[in-house]
Amino acid sequence: MTATAKALLMMGIALPVMFLVISIFMVATSALHKAFPAPAEEENDEEDDD
Amino acid sequence: MEALIQQYPWLDELLMGFIGLSWKHVVMWGIGALLIWLAAAKDYEPALLLPIGFGAVLANIPHSSAVSQVKGEEGFLFVLYNAGIGNELFPVLIFVAIGAMCDFAPLIRNPKVMLFAAAAQFGIFATAVAATFLGFSFEHASSIGIIGAADGPTTIYVASRFAVELLGPLSVAAYCYMSLVPVIQPPVINAITTKAERQIRMGYENVVPVSQTTKFLFPIMITLIAGMVAPISVALIGSLMFGNLIKESGVTENLSACAENELANLVTLLLGITIGGTMEAERFLNIQVLLIMALGAVAFVFDTAGGVFFAKLMNMFSSTKINPMIGACGISAFPMSGRVIAKMALKEDPTNFIIQHAIGVNVAGQVASVVAGGLVLALIPALAKM
Repeated sequence: MTATAKALLMMGIALPVMFLVISIFMVATSALHKAFPAPAEEENDEEDDD
Repeated sequence: MEALIQQYPWLDELLMGFIGLSWKHVVMWGIGALLIWLAAAKDYEPALLLPIGFGAVLANIPHSSAVSQVKGEEGFLFVLYNAGIGNELFPVLIFVAIGAMCDFAPLIRNPKVMLFAAAAQFGIFATAVAATFLGFSFEHASSIGIIGAADGPTTIYVASRFAVELLGPLSVAAYCYMSLVPVIQPPVINAITTKAERQIRMGYENVVPVSQTTKFLFPIMITLIAGMVAPISVALIGSLMFGNLIKESGVTENLSACAENELANLVTLLLGITIGGTMEAERFLNIQVLLIMALGAVAFVFDTAGGVFFAKLMNMFSSTKINPMIGACGISAFPMSGRVIAKMALKEDPTNFIIQHAIGVNVAGQVASVVAGGLVLALIPALAKM
């Protein structure tokens, strides 16, 4: 297999896997964010910080 | 001269620097001086380019004791190389420092921004393909592509495994182009977006604050997921997230302050001068290095285009329009890229503030570039065997 073919194959594997991993991150992050909502006090703190 | 040295052997010791000098050494002094000038006069990544420039000068003094590899007389740059780059320690320590500096709250608030960061890694793979057309081996081409991660430590980490002989030029290219983000990204974005697209406003409705518990658990969760998918990336993502964990835990303020200040400064200093020490004339002055510098620019252009086109693609399927410029912030050059894009939006419309969205994508770029680096680390040895 030539170097170009290997590089193309790497792109063909890595990009979809990358989006898959990132999608898992997205779902997990959303779930984490929902599971531990900011208490009212922290909300006010954050607004103050902003 | 030879007869003179034969007659007076001590002259050889005294004049070895002059006798060993070649035009290549002088050219390398010029390159070292250029890097120092870019750092000192132009403020281009001064913390890295200044030590790299001086390290290059030290490495190109004939018979320099700084890079001596003679047993028992090893130069300090050779010792540092073996202690910090040959075993990948310095890039990992830099990631601890970066993690301690990162605030992932914008990303946690809007996890969708991670998709732009994934798209902006396109430059890594497109550049690797382009490099093979120019005659580079697969391993070297992939290491060149990693410049597109816009992430110095990841570039060094990958290069030290698969392209040790190209470590110097790859590191210089990565850090130079990171500092040139304000020069590279705007023309590319202007070329592939319309004025109307650049003026798209993005609201801040339904912004849910992030709890401290979420911020604390986020680095642990990301490490576990990334580690399970690509165990080879654990050193990179784990160190980045460890730095973030000590920051968000709230109970190790001293460690967090140390990581983002003393550790970052010390390792940056050692990393820079050690990389400079690898830039010996024989290795650096060849056509390959010129090609690497050109491919580095190509990588940043592909990254920018990848992120912007992905945002445009999302706009085709979404009722809430996204300013496609924020797609370009998915690279790891943080916070420079986010700021550049926010400025561009203000230039198009002085009342359009997209800085928070841009910084969110830019923070996601930190994570995505490490994931991409991990995938490349895993795939190079697997595909090289084919």
